[in-house]
Amino acid sequence: MPELFLLTALPLLNIGLVYFLKNRKIQYSLTLLAATVHLLCSLLIFSGFLNPSENDFIRFDSLTKLFLMVLSNVYFWVTLVSYSYLSRPNIVKEEKSKKLYFMLLNLYLLANTLALISNHLGLFWVASETTTLCVAPLIFYYRDEEALEAMWKYLFLVSVGIAFAFVGFLFLTLSANGTVLDGKQLVVTNFILNAEVLNPIWLKAAFIFVFVGLSTKIGIAPMHPGDIDATSNSPSPVAALMSGSLRGTALIGVLRVYQIMVPTETAEFARIIMIIGGMFSLFVAFVFMFKVTNYKRMISYSSVEHLGLIVIGIGTGGIAFVGAMLHVVYNSITKVVLFLNAGNIHRAYKSRETASVWNVLNAMPWTGWLFLTGFFAIIAMPPFGIFFSELMIFQGLMAKPWLLAGVLFLLFFIFVGMSKTVFQMLYKAPPDIANLPEISEKFDITHFASLILLLMLIGLGLFLPSELYEMVTNIALDFGIIL
Amino acid sequence: MENVLSILFCLTLLYLVVTSRIKTYVTILRIQGVLLSLIMIFPFIEHLSVHLLIIPIVSLIVKAIIIPRFVNKIVIDLDVKRIVEPSIQPFNFLLLSVFSMSVLFVSAHVLSGFTTIEPIPFASAFSAMIIGIFIIIFRKKLIIHVVGFLILENGILLFGTSLSAEMPTIVELGALLDIFVVVFLMGIVINRISSTFAQPDVTALGRLKD
Repeated sequence: MPELFLLTALPLLNIGLVYFLKNRKIQYSLTLLAATVHLLCSLLIFSGFLNPSENDFIRFDSLTKLFLMVLSNVYFWVTLVSYSYLSRPNIVKEEKSKKLYFMLLNLYLLANTLALISNHLGLFWVASETTTLCVAPLIFYYRDEEALEAMWKYLFLVSVGIAFAFVGFLFLTLSANGTVLDGKQLVVTNFILNAEVLNPIWLKAAFIFVFVGLSTKIGIAPMHPGDIDATSNSPSPVAALMSGSLRGTALIGVLRVYQIMVPTETAEFARIIMIIGGMFSLFVAFVFMFKVTNYKRMISYSSVEHLGLIVIGIGTGGIAFVGAMLHVVYNSITKVVLFLNAGNIHRAYKSRETASVWNVLNAMPWTGWLFLTGFFAIIAMPPFGIFFSELMIFQGLMAKPWLLAGVLFLLFFIFVGMSKTVFQMLYKAPPDIANLPEISEKFDITHFASLILLLMLIGLGLFLPSELYEMVTNIALDFGIIL
Repeated sequence: MENVLSILFCLTLLYLVVTSRIKTYVTILRIQGVLLSLIMIFPFIEHLSVHLLIIPIVSLIVKAIIIPRFVNKIVIDLDVKRIVEPSIQPFNFLLLSVFSMSVLFVSAHVLSGFTTIEPIPFASAFSAMIIGIFIIIFRKKLIIHVVGFLILENGILLFGTSLSAEMPTIVELGALLDIFVVVFLMGIVINRISSTFAQPDVTALGRLKD
């Protein structure tokens, strides 16, 4: 299994190497090397040049390939900007965090990869538990009270969530009692093949527990608060990683259980639960978009909104499912751009409060314009990809006009609330010209990364590559959706 | 026999609800650890394979000895006040717990009519989960939250054991939840070292909100 080796060996080796090599430049080069190899490998697997073998533990279906691509892409760009981020002059306390930073990044990549390619729900569970454990010290990067509180809340909420997901998997075992699968391992492919014989009551219970439990990680309301605190108080590369890829990793767990339910009559139940969860997330984002005074929290609530939209798309089925899968890709790219530039603003103005940020467009032209463009991308302006994926989701929702009306209503006000904050940050005149911080900005690597990612977003949206579309329709086919 | 032990397990839960001393919480953690290991040893008696002994022994050591000792040490070292500081009237809490436990027992009985579950261990397990959650919600101290998480985890393990005699690997994986507990406890200890939280109490967790 050379592919598995390529995907996991380098991060694993790096964890050890980075721990012993204290020089940050070497640590960075090693991590970047692993990220590049991972990205290339994912690309090869995605485009079909590599056809990895599968067994009871490992699986490379279209869903895995797509999410692996999302993870690699986000991870590569985040790693690329990490060195410049760590080199910024900061308070001394962080030196401790910096030592661990690259080691934890490698562990993060390893755990996420394992979670995505696992065919065994036990393996998935252990891997996603590891992702939580390795992201917690990264959230604690600034080592102040807020960071501590964010880490504690995230860790506690997600642990309870993970425990719930575990109960869900136990219910899945229970549903197999007295069938051919009795006493067998929790292998997803076997469960899908024999889905009809599973006990529907326990299958429903399993879905509820897994969905609610993993919601803490995905950020579906009402289990979102831990996620919001964590993404808004962690350093921006970590926030980008969490919003861009960790949420997707948790989502794949829900999708796996849903995939087991698709051939049975319980699928309708799962769809209703997902639509309720998604609508509630949109509602929460709608309420808080007007309340937030902190721009990083605003971006986090936007994540809640978009993940809600994705879950609604999955629950609706048909063309909306295809839209939701594309939305996963586009949303992850946009979130990286937004968080990286928000990090730049945070560094310059030394505050996460919207009220103490003025006139970004003039003071920091590169960051300002990129942030503005990222904002246009996230509110689904054409020609950015999100416009097209949301259009697909709406097209699927046409069958349920009331739901569509509700979604559009909430999205419109989320857009209004978000633009209020963003335009204030970008255009508001400073209250006191004399006391403005001296900010001069050069084109740096975060701008480069944002620029490439935005171009990628436009390219993917306008000229949807046939490979991507084929992959997404294949996923839909796996979920019993024929377009 | 499994049923008797499960009922005993439920009684410890009720005691947990009415007590307000941290010391009692720790004692009950120990008792639950022993009860769980006893329940988990039944598959071994039936099949007599060494493999089935690992989980009961490990959970006996971790749940009945190491973690309670760790919690005790933290309480002494950090000089935590020895009462749990509830945010709900004790009587109301008891009422709520008894009500939810009876709902669980009745529904487990109904469900056992047409599915293959053993109602008493099943209902006891879910009672432990729900009371664990209640403790997390209705108690203010962080260390008690960790105990609540442990109770929740005990419930999950009991549920896993009641599932099937053969204990699929997934149940054994549940023991990994203990890692979280250790991380929490370490977190509290490190907290104190860097002295960022003056009081390990949730009222201190109020900075982040909208």
